[in-house]
This record gives sequence, structure tokens and C-alpha cells, in this order.
Amino acid sequence: MTPGRRPTARVPAVAVVLVLAFGILAAGSSYWQVIRADELVSSPTDAAVLVAARTVVRGKILDRDGRTLADSRRAKDGTPYRVYADPAVSHPVGYASALYGSAGLERAYTAELTGAGGSDPSSRLFAKFLPPADRGSDLQTALSLPLQRLAVRLLGDDRGAVVMLDPRSGEVLVLASTPVFDASGIGNPATAQERFEALREDEASPLLDRATLGRYVPGSVFKIVTAIAGLGSGSLSPATTFPEQPGAEEDGLVVSGFTIRDGHHAFTGDEELNLVAATEVSCNIWYALAGLDTGGANLDAFARRLGFGGPLPFDVPTAPSQLTNGGGPLPGGFLDEVELANAAYGQGEVLATPLQMALVAAAVANGGELMEPRLATALVDRQGRTTSVGPRSMGRILDASANAALVEAMTRAVEGDRGRLFTEGAKVPGVLTAGKSGTAEIGGAGEPHSWFIGFAPADAPTIAIAVIVERGGRGGERASPLAGRMLRAYFDAQP
Amino acid sequence: MTGLAAEGAAPVLPGFPRPRARPRELGLLVAVLAALAIGSLSLGLLRTGRLEPADPLGLVLYAAGLLVAHVVLVVSGRRLDEVLLPAAAFLGGIGLLVMERLPQDLVVQEIGPLTLGLGDLQLLWLGVALAVATAIAVALRSDRWLRPYKYTWAAGGLALLALTFVFGSEVNGSRLTLQVGPFSGQPSEFLKVILVVFFAAYLAENRVLLADARVRLVGPITVPPLTYLAPIVAMLALALGIVVVQRDLGAALLFYAVFLGLLFLATGRLTDVVLGLLLFAAGFALLALIFPHVQQRIAVWLDPWADPLGDGYQLIQALHAFARGGLVGTGLGAGLPEIGGRLPIPAVHTDFPLAAIGEELGMTGVVAVLAAYLVIVGRGLRIAAAARDDFRALLAAGLALVVGVQAVIIAGGNLKLIPLTGITLPFVSYGGSSLLANAIVVGTLMALSDRGAAPPALPRPPRLARLRGSPRGPS
Repeated sequence: MTPGRRPTARVPAVAVVLVLAFGILAAGSSYWQVIRADELVSSPTDAAVLVAARTVVRGKILDRDGRTLADSRRAKDGTPYRVYADPAVSHPVGYASALYGSAGLERAYTAELTGAGGSDPSSRLFAKFLPPADRGSDLQTALSLPLQRLAVRLLGDDRGAVVMLDPRSGEVLVLASTPVFDASGIGNPATAQERFEALREDEASPLLDRATLGRYVPGSVFKIVTAIAGLGSGSLSPATTFPEQPGAEEDGLVVSGFTIRDGHHAFTGDEELNLVAATEVSCNIWYALAGLDTGGANLDAFARRLGFGGPLPFDVPTAPSQLTNGGGPLPGGFLDEVELANAAYGQGEVLATPLQMALVAAAVANGGELMEPRLATALVDRQGRTTSVGPRSMGRILDASANAALVEAMTRAVEGDRGRLFTEGAKVPGVLTAGKSGTAEIGGAGEPHSWFIGFAPADAPTIAIAVIVERGGRGGERASPLAGRMLRAYFDAQP
Repeated sequence: MTGLAAEGAAPVLPGFPRPRARPRELGLLVAVLAALAIGSLSLGLLRTGRLEPADPLGLVLYAAGLLVAHVVLVVSGRRLDEVLLPAAAFLGGIGLLVMERLPQDLVVQEIGPLTLGLGDLQLLWLGVALAVATAIAVALRSDRWLRPYKYTWAAGGLALLALTFVFGSEVNGSRLTLQVGPFSGQPSEFLKVILVVFFAAYLAENRVLLADARVRLVGPITVPPLTYLAPIVAMLALALGIVVVQRDLGAALLFYAVFLGLLFLATGRLTDVVLGLLLFAAGFALLALIFPHVQQRIAVWLDPWADPLGDGYQLIQALHAFARGGLVGTGLGAGLPEIGGRLPIPAVHTDFPLAAIGEELGMTGVVAVLAAYLVIVGRGLRIAAAARDDFRALLAAGLALVVGVQAVIIAGGNLKLIPLTGITLPFVSYGGSSLLANAIVVGTLMALSDRGAAPPALPRPPRLARLRGSPRGPS
């Protein structure tokens, strides 16, 4: 770097800087044009997808047995519009309207349904040499139209949600939310404006998919998450008991000045409860002590592995479930030990979506390994070529032996002598059923939220379920019997 | 070889140079024209379904213009760079194809009885730019009217810019254009050339002082003495001040980067460059504090998806366009799907031609365009490295930097690597001022590439020969 040297000697250094800059530009080009291309090109905001959505006849959306959930018609002037099989599937299927955009699967798979995004990069490369598609691919889903209809009928006039999925594959059979809406009314250009405005102003917010976007206090169903965190981190064993627990049943457990109460003293007396017994009688005090032993950091870590703390990997948007409001000084973001103790049995600041709680049940049902939930199972293009969407794991949450203890606990909670008092209705005759009810206190006047999560058959689960009925009362009153009816219908339909 | 020819049968007429063949340039021009013809055919095929060029007259006129320029350069007999013209012609031709492909009513101008659309106007300006570049390349033989009058040039440039400020018309909230009759121009495009001339002249004169007479700032960190730095910093500050007030942030960034590059070339002091970068960061932070529109630019850059239908719309649609293009593109005319009769990217012809190229010619096209800029920059820097004196070296390097840095700023903005600023993509974007200013750059670089007949020898050759360049080459 001798200043006396002529400027010409330093020209190569400037050249190197500029070559680097252009190299970065080329890298930027490959980032958007290759690495991120698939994602952007099939996004509903892509201009080509938007154009296709207005001109191309969308493919059908089908249920797991080939029943049509969404189909296309043409108006008198030739513009295509959508009709839907049943308001019961309006939330997962969504709607597509020239005026009001799209929602649900109709939105998530706009590119595929309209044929704008190719199924794979190589076919897209050659697609430019072919005439544009006049009809998109059909979307095969895991949904079951009869079960979906039954769920909506059983929820009736109540607001709530039912989620059922196959724990082995993550295939979602039921994703029901009430109140439902008539998606065909939005799809039909003649009625779209009137219907959509009415739905938007309805204070029951029927357009909201409660199963994926409703965040509820989970109450006792969250105890399964605490048990998973305790067993998984080694803080708990199936044999863990707390000597102070029986005494505390009479006049409450005091944590930093806050008293936690229970209502099952009449059945358990002086018995020191272990995991199975505490789960069977839904002992808040045992779970509060278990949560304090497990600690906020472990609880937070295992909740995250189950999907808490962010959107779930799913076909349609999901709201993030949460353990705390965040920002507290304790590990996991808890403000103090009171919040941690309350969170351990699903109160405090814990909020969860029905889909999230269904995943908790599914993780236990699948031997401790959680599968990604999914609605779409395959795409069938105009030439009949099928592209399957395979199952994907979200990772192993719990090892098999610890998981077995939890399966036993949840089985006793439904099948055991004392558990039946809470979850009687969930029992499926002839099928060993596992589960956990929840009664979520939400403050103020009125009934608590009624919850149930579970799976069956307990020894070789094929179906997991989560049910919430807003203001439905105790878990055993509304959600457990509803889950029982759904499970019975599911097993009745099996060959 | 040339020596033999000089003694051959055709004696050179006094006052008339002997033609000098430019085979490399001719070959490259033919390759460029072939590529453009194929592009035009593909656009035509897509439009009419028949294998015919989209705008045969435009293509022929452009080809004719290039060949005339080539012939003029041959006839001039100067030993000029043979790669710069084809590289710029390639970029200009791609720009012409893009402008012919876009809806013609994006820009419409009536000149006399003619009503010209986007493609016609771009062709017109390309023709003028080609004439200007060739004229400068052939005629610019001395730096005598550049070097001594550096303050005059700089004052003139600043005056032009100040004029825009007073009489200019606002486009998209920025006062950048000056309207003269039917023509409107952006003086900041020309100011960049004038600034390079000024910087080069000043730094060439004072570089030893700037490098060696150091003043201690803090500890071991030294800076050039303020008295020698003041004129150039004042000029830079004035130029930056005007363009910043005019909200032409891209031009401000360009001026500053070119200044730092030239300062480094002149003094070789890395500390000066680092201090300059720190000052830049501080100035940028200050601008962001003062001007809400700067904050908004940064916010859009960081997360355009925060406001996908408002502030972020243009950038998001550009990124989608790049993505739709993929590796090889949709083909000319097959991309840029119109929604309700509107192009997906607003201002695509001035601010986002690279996105249009990215969609229709793919990553391949983008990389080809970037490579063409590197060729121009590379040739410019080669000319600088081979220059006879410091002024010429700094001038050539500065001109190369102007093209290279401007391309990086706008391409980086299009690709969401840096915040977007509204400057043009050199040689490609629609616009007369941009094409003319860059034509001046290329023409001057070509003129500078003529190192005369022989290495500077003592005693000096007679004045006439020095000006025209001796016919006898070193072979």
C-alpha cells in the first residue's frame, strides 16, 4: 500500500471488489429464481396464479373416499365459479371467489388447482411449450365427509371444534368448526357480495376456523403435555409421588401464596397418587408439583417440540399455541412459580388450538413420535398423473417405554373406575379407549370450556381426537360424550 | 503488419487517417445481432404464431446503426477498444427487446406528426446514444478541455441540477426531471459523468499530497489535511445534498461509492476508505432519522410482505417475476401476466427491467446481462491500468465504476439484496438521459483506450501527430 505508487497499481483491487459484487448479484438471482422459485410460483399472491384463478376451471377437491367436496360450474357468460358439497367442510376446504379471494385449501392450493404451478420443476420447464391448461389438478384430501358432517351436527348450536387424525400418518379426517358457513354462497358471483358481507358482520364469526385459528385455555387436557415434558426430561417417572399431595387435597396447595385446589379428595383420601392415578382423577395438585419439578425450561422445550410457539406445519394457516405470554424472568418465559404451577394443569396463560391438542394426543398414540398433520394426500392432474404427499415426521417426542406409561394413564382416565366419573361418555364399546378430559376455567361468569383429547384403540391406535365445546361446561358433560360418538362412528365405518 | 501497410501502395493522404480493421468488434457485433434476431423471432412467434421478427424495422435500424458506428470507427483509424461497443450494444439490444415487448402505451410521445410508443422512443434514443458514443470515441483526442476546466464543468453540472430543483417536475414524489419542449431529462445522470471528471482531475493533481501529508485524527489514524480535501469534499457534499433533497437516493449512493473508489485508487489509503464507509453509515442513519421515505424504503426492503398490497407490492411482484422465470425463463412475451390489463410490476420499464429479463429470459438471461456489465467494467479497468497518466487512469477507472456500481445498486435493489432506489439499469432501462449519459461514458472510455501510436517518448512528437495519433503502430 505505498501511496507513492501510481493509481494503476491499485486497479486490480477495485476489480476484485466489483467481481465480488456481481458474484453476489448472481447468487441473489439464483436464490429467487431457483431456490425460492417453487414456493413463490405456487403462492396465491403470484400474478400468474391470480390470472389463472380467474380464467382456469379449478380442479375438484375430493374427500378420502372420492366424494366431491368442491366442484366448478360455469356461469351463463362462461366464467367459472365454485360450488361446495356441504357447509360442514367449509372451513378446511374454504372458498374461492373472484370478488373475495380465497381461503382454506382453495387458497393454499390455488396454483395446483388452477394448473398454474406445475407439480414438479421439470414438468414446469417443458410446460412453456404446451398450450396453457384450461383445467387444473384435482386435490385428494384425507377428510371424511360423513365424519365431518357428524361432528358439525353433534356440535349443534354450540361454538366449538372437532379434530380427528390418523396418528400413524398425520392424515386429518375431521377438521370441523362451528358455526359453519355456506361457501357456495361466496363462490357464486350472483350471491357473493350479499353473503360475504353478512358473514363478515356476524358476531359469531363463522368465517373463523376455530380448529386451526381458535386459541383456547386448555385446562386439564394440557396435563398430557406436562407429563410428556416430565417423563421426557427425566424429571418424572411413572412411580413419582408427592408426600405433600394428599394433605394438600383438603385445604389446597399453596405456591408462593397462591392456593391450588382440587375436588377429588372424596375418592382418593390419603392415597399418594402416582402418574397413572393422578391422570385418572385429574389431580391438579399432583400436576402442579410435577410441573414445578419439571421446570419451565423443560416444559417449554417439550411444548415446542409438540408444535407450541409457532405456526404448525399444515396445509392451511394455524395460530401459534402458547405456554406463556412470554417475557417472564423464569426459564420458559414464566413470570413466577405460580404461573408455572398453574400452567402445568393448563391454566395460567396457556392457550392452545384444537389442532395442537389433537397433535398432543396423536404423539402419545403413535408411540411417542409425532407426524405432521396434513389435509392434502395427492394431486391428480388432467392426464391422470398422481403426485402423492407422503407422511412426514415432526420428530420423536418421547421414547417408547415412557410413552407406554402415558398410554396406560390415559387409558385408565377413560376406562378406569375413577376415571369414568370424568370421561364416561368417551368410552367406545368394544374398543379400548384412552383420553383426557379438560374443564378450562376462563374467568368471568358462565360455563367453562369443555375439552377432550384421546385416541383408540389404546393398544394399537388408528385415530386420535380433540374436541372443544366453547362454554360447554365440564369436560365430562359435553366434550367426552361428543368424542365418544365420533369415535364410535369412526369404528362403525371401518371394515 | 501495419508498418508494412504504411509503406505499401496506398499512401495516407495528409489529414486523413488510414482505416484500421476491427475484426474482433465486427465478430462480436454479428454475434450480438444474431442473438437479438433470435430474440425478436421468438417474440414474433409468440405474438403472431408465425416465425417472423416482432419488429423487423426496429431490428434492422438498430443493426444498421451499429454497423455504421463500426464503419466510422474503422475509418477513423484509431486504435480503440473493440469490446466495449459490442458489450454495450448487447445490453442496449436486450433493453430494446424488452421495451418492444412491453405495452407500447407505457410511454407515448408526439414529435411533430409522429406518435411514438415505448419501443420506438427507446430505438430513437439508442440511435442518438450510438451517435454520441461514436462521435466521442472518434473525436475525443485530448484531455485538454476536460482537465483544466474541472471546476467549470462541475459548476455547470451542479447548476443544471439546481435548475431541475427549481423548474423540475415531480415524478413519483421526486423532482428529478427537467422538461425542455417535448423532451424531459434527468440531469443527475449527466452529473455522474461530470463528477467523475472532476474527481479524477482533482485527485490526479493532489494525490501525493492527500496520501503523504497526513494529519493525526485519533491515535494512529490519520486523515489527509483538510485544506487539500476541502474542495473535493465540498463538491461531493453539494452534489449529495442536491440529490438527497431531490430524493434521488440511488444517485447519492452512486456518487459516494465512486468517490470512495477513486479516493482509494488515488491515495491507496485503506483507512480513508474505512473512514468513508463509517461516515456513510452515519450519514445513512441520519437520513433515516430525518426522512420518513428513507425509513419506508428500509422497511420495505427488510420485509416487503408486511404490506403486500401497498408499499411492498412492487418489490414482491418483481421477486415473483424472477421466480416465474426460473432457470431459462418463460420466453420473450410469455411472461409478465397482466391482471386486469395491468402489468404486475409498476414502473417495470424504468426501475425493474431486470425483473422482466429475469422472468422472460430466466436466470440465464440475468447472468448474461450481469456478465455484460462485468465485461464493460473489466475493459474500463484495463484501460485505466494501461493509462499513460494519473488523470487518464482515474478517469477511466471512474467511468468503469460509474457503470458497474450503478448496475449493482439497481440490480441489488431489484433482487432485494439492498434497499431499492429508483436509478436506471445502464443501457437497458427506458430513458433518453440514462442512455445518453452512459453513451458518453462508453465513448469516453473508448477514446481513452487509444494510447496513441507509441509509448510516450522523449522528446515529444510534434503537436499535430500527438493529437491525431501517429499512423505507425508499435506492432
